[in-house]
Amino acid sequence: MSAPTDGRRAVSAVVGRPVVFAVFVGTLLFLVAPVVVTFVSSFAREWTGAVPTGFVTFAHWEQVLGFGGYEDAANYSLRLGNVVEALGTDPLGALDESPLFRSVGLALGGVLVNLVVGVPIAYAVSRYDFRGRDLLNAVAVLPLAPGIVLGVAFLRAYPQLSATDVGLVVGYSLLKAPFMVLAVQSSFEGMDLRQLEESARSLGASWPRTFLFVVVPNARRGIVSGAVICWALAAAEFNFSYVVYSRGARPLALFLQANISNSSFLTTSAAVSVFFVLIAGVTLALQVAGNRGFATR
Amino acid sequence: MGADDAPTTSKTTATGRERSRRLRPEALPDWLPEWVASVAAPRTERDRERRRIAVLCAPFVLLAAVAGVYPLVEMVRISLSEARFVTTGVTLDAYRELATDPYLRRSAWNTLWFAVATTAASLVAATATAHALEKYDLPFEGALVTLLSFPVSLPGIVAAFMIIVLLGNTGLLTQAVAWFGGRSAIDAAVATSVGGLFVAYCYSMIPRALLLLRGSYSEVNGHAEEAARSLGASPARTFYHVTLPQITPGLIGAFILTFRTALAIFGTVLVLQAMRVWTFEIDYLLSNGYQIQLASAMAAVWFAFVLAFTAVGLRYTSAEVGL
Repeated sequence: MSAPTDGRRAVSAVVGRPVVFAVFVGTLLFLVAPVVVTFVSSFAREWTGAVPTGFVTFAHWEQVLGFGGYEDAANYSLRLGNVVEALGTDPLGALDESPLFRSVGLALGGVLVNLVVGVPIAYAVSRYDFRGRDLLNAVAVLPLAPGIVLGVAFLRAYPQLSATDVGLVVGYSLLKAPFMVLAVQSSFEGMDLRQLEESARSLGASWPRTFLFVVVPNARRGIVSGAVICWALAAAEFNFSYVVYSRGARPLALFLQANISNSSFLTTSAAVSVFFVLIAGVTLALQVAGNRGFATR
Repeated sequence: MGADDAPTTSKTTATGRERSRRLRPEALPDWLPEWVASVAAPRTERDRERRRIAVLCAPFVLLAAVAGVYPLVEMVRISLSEARFVTTGVTLDAYRELATDPYLRRSAWNTLWFAVATTAASLVAATATAHALEKYDLPFEGALVTLLSFPVSLPGIVAAFMIIVLLGNTGLLTQAVAWFGGRSAIDAAVATSVGGLFVAYCYSMIPRALLLLRGSYSEVNGHAEEAARSLGASPARTFYHVTLPQITPGLIGAFILTFRTALAIFGTVLVLQAMRVWTFEIDYLLSNGYQIQLASAMAAVWFAFVLAFTAVGLRYTSAEVGL
């Protein structure tokens, strides 16, 4: 690789940009194309030839959402038909039967735990200097154990509890806590916390009051985006749910797995598309909250 | 205010100890260690700050202890147990089996080389993508970033399905290859081969690596690059000597985190079943006769390896971990 001395351009000046650009386009297509194809083909009647045909049908969506005669496909539908039917009589019971609402609830539980756990430690690590701070920060920011290892550990440590909602919520909250801590930390980063705290204290607020009513509201952007990210990732958590789950409505990720393993291609497309719609909604909510995508920086 | 303002010293002189004993409130029993007493009933501003730190950290420490440390300890204990359902005695049988079983050894080898290879491939793709995003004038850059980070939130099973969409029996690329090559689509489908699994791993890992590398790229000094270029260095030289050193800490950090992700992948393998990796074996042992001792031993080995790898990686390299 020599510098151009005699007027010829270096090889990398000629091919560098096109190559990098090609990799970029390739990566973009690789990541995005299957998502688009899945979503589009979920509205097709069949896909036997080169391309899906028979647009537009909602049959696959009806099937995975649990409408139009598919209410009983217990493991393969979200059973929304049952939920709508039972709205008048037993709304809570029906909600619990639906993988969608069960996961929504479980993930919300995980987010609540994460709020109580993640916001204070993010503040402690950003604001104070103390022995063991770096270690604590590393533990809080790096996931302690992945879903499958934690699942095995839960099976052994809490044989009764691990299959219940409490077990799932606690597991989700530990698995997703780093994302909350990171999001909140990133919004603390740009603030002069000492000055903020001292101003509030000198104006007469007690320290708990300062923390709850001055510090926390200032970090609301990080807290909201952290909560949304944690929620989406907990709702999608498969490995832990798969090892620990034993009864009740399947969490969303297990509903997806049941479809991916056993359903026809287009039905699975619809099931995965439901999930896409959910994540797209979350991403949109994040952008409204002022963050771009899942960048937690 | 007098007692409140008394300075605390870390010196363990007789007077220092004397003073802290004097400061100790009557209500607290004498046998409590000094630091517990100072946190429970602070007398000085520094003690109060310590109490605040303790209060702020307590919820996390509690969660980590209840949901993380205790279950992991129980897991290690059953892996050492002589009996299957209760923890009694100490035996290394499970670990001996891990070390001698040729299938498991093969699985460990599979896991490691596959994780290294997919991490390397993902980092190359992610670096080029981050480079293009940062250095080139791309239209709709915000939308592109959103699209590229979308897969971060997809679980491994969905990543596997994405690969089926691309490379499965009716997959897009399969159809294209079959059409151009005049082969049957079934023969061209590679989703459930090792190659398909490789691509599926990358599908999960590229967006994560990209997230980290975009951070590193945003801090690269553009003036130094321009100076190098105007002094006659080729783009490749500029990248190698100016850009690369600046993003190296980010690259190493991304390598560590992406490698950890690769080792933890399970759902993808469960769907595609192209190869038996460590996490897959753990699940296999649990669902075939609930061999909790061996499964726990495998999980413990996994945990110890990743912990050691991360600790060494963060300690002895210039890695910069900021997700």
